[in-house]
Amino acid sequence: MVTLAAALLLLGRAETYVVDRARQVVTDLAAPLLELASRPVSAARRVVESTDQYAYVFDENERLREENARLLAWKEAALKLEAKVSRFEALLNVQVDPSIDYVTGRVVGDSGGPFVETIIANVGSQQGIVSGQAVIDTDGLIGRIVATGPQASRILLLTDLNSRVPILVEPSQVRAVLAGDNSAWPRLEFLPAVSEAQAGDRVVTSGDGGLLPPGLPIGTLVETEDGFLRVQTFADRSRLDMVRVLQYEFPREIDRQDAPAALQPPKGDGPFQSPATVPPALTQGGTSAGEGGT
Amino acid sequence: MSFEPIGPTPAARAGKIALLVLPFLAGFFCMLLSFVPFSRIFGVEIAPAFGLIAVYYWAVQRPDVFPPYGVFAIGLFYDLLSAGPLGLWALVYLIVYGLVISQRQLIIGRTFSLFWLGFLISSAVAGFLGWALASLYFGQFLSPATVLVQMAATVALFPLFAKLFEQLLQRLLVQG
Repeated sequence: MVTLAAALLLLGRAETYVVDRARQVVTDLAAPLLELASRPVSAARRVVESTDQYAYVFDENERLREENARLLAWKEAALKLEAKVSRFEALLNVQVDPSIDYVTGRVVGDSGGPFVETIIANVGSQQGIVSGQAVIDTDGLIGRIVATGPQASRILLLTDLNSRVPILVEPSQVRAVLAGDNSAWPRLEFLPAVSEAQAGDRVVTSGDGGLLPPGLPIGTLVETEDGFLRVQTFADRSRLDMVRVLQYEFPREIDRQDAPAALQPPKGDGPFQSPATVPPALTQGGTSAGEGGT
Repeated sequence: MSFEPIGPTPAARAGKIALLVLPFLAGFFCMLLSFVPFSRIFGVEIAPAFGLIAVYYWAVQRPDVFPPYGVFAIGLFYDLLSAGPLGLWALVYLIVYGLVISQRQLIIGRTFSLFWLGFLISSAVAGFLGWALASLYFGQFLSPATVLVQMAATVALFPLFAKLFEQLLQRLLVQG
């Protein structure tokens, strides 16, 4: 029995198809049970959270009032920028990113083991989920799909040892790879030796490789005691509940575009899509990102 | 015409089957319980290794109703569900199971605190083995903090599960 287990350990190292398949079947079978068990957990969590909130309702109200005032100013700035950007896009004949469909699911299973950072969500290939798709919650990117069954799929979190995501540091536009190492703060790989990236900068997906949509908010840079840069994600790993799987497809075939006859922002038809087709994450992530940046 | 040999009554036979199946099912559900995000109620992130409690409890109390292949199966399902290295926890659980059985006479029939202490040592061994094997498997030094927290939570929750299993065992013995 012990030898069998040891043999499996070696066999599994090769990551064969059979092993993956077995994992998926077991996950799919366990998903309904886990879903059943996670419902009361969710309910209990809401109760705990709402009692927490009662205690701080006054402070929270004050804070929200201030934040609202600040956000209104931001909204004005954003509207102005939006108009400006759409004008520039028209001038430069930019191909606007296609809008992204998404599927919303609930996290039903925790990672369970201490060496793996994956979670199980109750949406699967029946809902059109495909391996590799990005998963976000209201705060930002949390990971991507690594395996799907008909009913359930497994999400590899950004913090997992095997997670690698191409990122872009704003505003310096430095590119790097975000690599998880099972700690709460993933590190940056392939960061140029001399770069302007510094603690407090915003980190978003770069979209390199075409797997993940560009511009999804991830987190902010933090500096560790020994002087390395790591990323504090916007999404709270321990509070994941509803997640959104983005069905992004890299635009492989781009129609030939002619310069517009008159330099006017396009209205719907033609090769342009409406410039308002911003991915859903951006609008939501923008608010929390503004909060995280201060 | 031959007579049937006088065997156990159907009720006794059912009791025997229950005695063989229920401990395993209890262990299996404990294993599944590790994946239910309980800790998220309080916004922390711990997944106690409930499966280990079952393995230890039955290895001390009644190894005859919880055979090694039951331990192996629970470990294997744990590996499959957690998407970790396949066979890692199956191996660790089997080693702990073997160790506990070899030291069984020291623990059985003594005070509960000794029983608990035995679990503390077992989970320390399991945690260390699992961490060392996973580090080898991934070829890098993993942070031992997560596994320490997990095992600490498991040891803390042990009495609760031990009481539940005791209830189950008593019911089964009355039946069987």
